[in-house]
Amino acid sequence: MEEEFQSQYGPRWSDQRVGRLLGALVCAVVALLLALIVVVFIQGWPSFAHNGLAWFGPGGNVDEQLNVISQSAETGAGYVYTFHAWPLIWSTILIAGGSVILSLGAALFISVFLVEFAPTWMARILAPVVRFLASVPSVIYGLLGVLVLVPFIGNHLISESQKASVAGVISLTGYSLMAAVVVLTIMVAPLMVSIFTDALSSVKPGWLEGSLALGVNRWRTIWKIGVRAARPAIVAGTVLACARAIGESVMLAMLSGSTAFAPNPIDGLIFVFEPSRPLAPTIVKSSDQLSSPPAKATLFAIAAFLLFSAAIFSLTGWAARRSMNKYLAR
Amino acid sequence: MESLTRQHAQVPPPIRRLDPQDPTPAAEAAPERSTNFVAAKRSIAAPQFSIRRMEVDKVSIHYDAKEAVKSVSLPIRQGEVLALIGPSGCGKTTLLRSLNRLTELTAAAKLTGSIRLDDVDIRLIEPTLLRRRVTMVFQQPNPFPMSVFDNIAYVLREQGSRRMKKKVLEPQVHSALQRAGLFEEVKDNLKHPALKLSGGQQQRLCIARALAAEPEVLLLDEPCSALDPQSTAVIEDLIVKLREDVAVVIVTHNLQQAYRIADHVAFMYLGDLVEYNSATRLFNTPAQDRTREYVSGAFG
Repeated sequence: MEEEFQSQYGPRWSDQRVGRLLGALVCAVVALLLALIVVVFIQGWPSFAHNGLAWFGPGGNVDEQLNVISQSAETGAGYVYTFHAWPLIWSTILIAGGSVILSLGAALFISVFLVEFAPTWMARILAPVVRFLASVPSVIYGLLGVLVLVPFIGNHLISESQKASVAGVISLTGYSLMAAVVVLTIMVAPLMVSIFTDALSSVKPGWLEGSLALGVNRWRTIWKIGVRAARPAIVAGTVLACARAIGESVMLAMLSGSTAFAPNPIDGLIFVFEPSRPLAPTIVKSSDQLSSPPAKATLFAIAAFLLFSAAIFSLTGWAARRSMNKYLAR
Repeated sequence: MESLTRQHAQVPPPIRRLDPQDPTPAAEAAPERSTNFVAAKRSIAAPQFSIRRMEVDKVSIHYDAKEAVKSVSLPIRQGEVLALIGPSGCGKTTLLRSLNRLTELTAAAKLTGSIRLDDVDIRLIEPTLLRRRVTMVFQQPNPFPMSVFDNIAYVLREQGSRRMKKKVLEPQVHSALQRAGLFEEVKDNLKHPALKLSGGQQQRLCIARALAAEPEVLLLDEPCSALDPQSTAVIEDLIVKLREDVAVVIVTHNLQQAYRIADHVAFMYLGDLVEYNSATRLFNTPAQDRTREYVSGAFG
């Protein structure tokens, strides 16, 4: 039936051909992604298999465990896989979570200001600035952090008595949770601002005008109608920011203190000055040991965990957007 | 819906070929229009009363160099419907938006002259307070992306200084929906998304929302232009019913509509108020030649 209508003299790039070509491209991309996930999980499997659920739990010094793992390839006494990643996971949660929460709040207010209250000239200057900030390579932020923020925290914020109080356990130098969170927030917030401003300025003008015409002031209007209508994009931006925050490695390797230590909030505010190391910088730091099979499996297991977390973020975001779209869809 | 799209995919869209030998003429000559505007009777009764609420006094509005409204003076009365008519770009919408200071949102707009609400210059009234007393319904129905209930509750919540409980809100929401003639249609699904309502229902929801603010003047900017005739008829009935509670000002492109529902009509042309008169007089025995030409369809 369809064949009878095929034009013989029409343009070569018929819609069907373009459709098939793009479809094939999409399939290739999806296949690549699946292959990537499968490879990472297969490579990391020995580490998970040996440790079981204890992989995610606490126990022992992770840095020592990593050393033993990578050296076990040469001793001939058999591979050692024992690895308890909790301090790394906890550090990731603290740093990525803290900076995403901080930047979510900051980005919301900044973008509301930019869209609704800033004079036109200011918004016109700030929009490209924000976009540029979002695209600055993270090494530069890392360098600035090492040169400016870390000495400041080490010399001015941490008191000598605080340093003395934990001297037996860990040394407080300024390479800390705080440095990592502050710089990561500065990195992530522009990304969110640029997504939020786009979302807020594409809220249907009729909704905002309708609210203003009912005697609701501009602040309440942008907050209750604008931000509400932009919620799906806000969720999408936050998911993107989470993914970037857990994946950030170079800057965090420079600033987090690079010590497998789990800062404990129960110790009081001093925990923000304590060093740690998230998952992604651990891969960077140990990447020279990939020739050792057990170390390779351990690093791939970390990668698999990061991939899995990113997938969970995306799924959560998708579910949240779905429930929000109920009222937005026509 | 799905079967429809599938059909489209299989059958190429029909393209009508015009046969040059086709004897049927492309269009038939338009029937002569009587100079006497409408033969139809006005079905609405004369207003029971009329109280002067607003006073537009020699109002001119500039956008940069362009003068959109030129020294217009008009009374706006409760108990009556006032219609603003005129060709596109004649300034009627600008004038309407200036009545609750919405023109101020466009930075370039500048207003001279004075508009008074109950003898108080509206520039002395805080804009959000003014916009609660003089609410507006727009050309495109613009219900908020919330449930039907929340659309109206939003207005009430924003007016109240304290967080209001649902029990307090409910009767007020219901009465606003009732006044807009929408309650019977939506009472069972107040939680449904407002954007899923039909166009006519959406516009009545917007009117209900505007009424929930308990306004004194209701401004309607071509409220029916996006609607089908049936929904239009429903809204026209509603407007006539409302005129005793609030002063109603409606901008319309539809002359028949103005004739059907308005008590007074103002005809504007290029920013000038050409004629302000009662609807019957303006349409049947216009005082100005321009008005006669416009209402008889000579230009538009």
